[in-house]
Amino acid sequence: MDAKKILMIDDDPDFVDAVKRILEKAGYVVEAAYSPQEGYRALDANVYDLVLLDCMMGRGAEGIIVARKLRKKKELSNLPVLMITGIRDQTGFFFVGDPKDETFLPVDGFMEKPVEPEALLQEVSRLLQSRKTNESKKGE
Amino acid sequence: MAEKPSFQKEVMNLMHVMDGNPIEACIQCGTCSGSCPAVEYMDYSPRQIIALIRADKKDEVLSSDTIWCCSSCYYCTVRCPQNIKITEMMYALKRYCIWKHKHKSGVIGPDFSRKFVKIVVKTGKSYEPGLAPTFIFKYGVRGVIDNMIMGISLLQKKRMAIMPKTVKRIANFRRVLNRIIPIGVEQ
Repeated sequence: MDAKKILMIDDDPDFVDAVKRILEKAGYVVEAAYSPQEGYRALDANVYDLVLLDCMMGRGAEGIIVARKLRKKKELSNLPVLMITGIRDQTGFFFVGDPKDETFLPVDGFMEKPVEPEALLQEVSRLLQSRKTNESKKGE
Repeated sequence: MAEKPSFQKEVMNLMHVMDGNPIEACIQCGTCSGSCPAVEYMDYSPRQIIALIRADKKDEVLSSDTIWCCSSCYYCTVRCPQNIKITEMMYALKRYCIWKHKHKSGVIGPDFSRKFVKIVVKTGKSYEPGLAPTFIFKYGVRGVIDNMIMGISLLQKKRMAIMPKTVKRIANFRRVLNRIIPIGVEQ
């Protein structure tokens, strides 16, 4: 079986290195894009099984805009997106309650930085599994 | 696959909306530093900051107090012969420092920015007495007394409220914020 291909869009090279190491050790192929623009280019050029997305990039919460754009693209709408962010800590937007708004933030998974390696691997395999199930359902 | 970016590239990514801001085009003429009204309070001048970014000296740039001394007067930006948006670069570096918690200890800027955002999110407008604790103690007893005197005269002239006021229809305002940053839904 081919290794699953993951695209990581994050502007922090140190965090990318750390997560890449964790995922590669678990047998995934990880490619990195260090800005939303690089991310769009990579998504146009290659096919991925999962996207790991940072939130705070560029002029602000551009990760959210990326997530919305991915959902709007027909060919990418089934691609699972896992958002990994430290936004609450980074911005001071300490709203209490649910970690994310389902209406405005169309992602499949959501984790807050810093992430535990085991929790990350669990979430990644859950999302890949759910994609597989969805695809097999479509095929039937 | 994308290569690991240099610090210059990271800063340019933060400003991609202005086409990366042509930092690499800097000719080190020093017009920005010569124009800057706050340069005497900075440890590195704006020209030096650009040189440090290009030399990949990330730690030096993030730990300097130059970016926090910038008063956003935009004089450097107006005068730059290479059209580098230096003030925007300073803002980008401020954002980067706050996001990564990598700023110099003891500078007021990051705490002030965080507090400001919290107050605005909560009430919809700025509330000066709420911001004061982030900086008045830094200037000792004299600073506290000076600020109190100024506060009292502002209160007398009704230029400042004792208690924070909220904007009308605060729930709508929060919904707008939640559309922009949809993380953490207030219950």
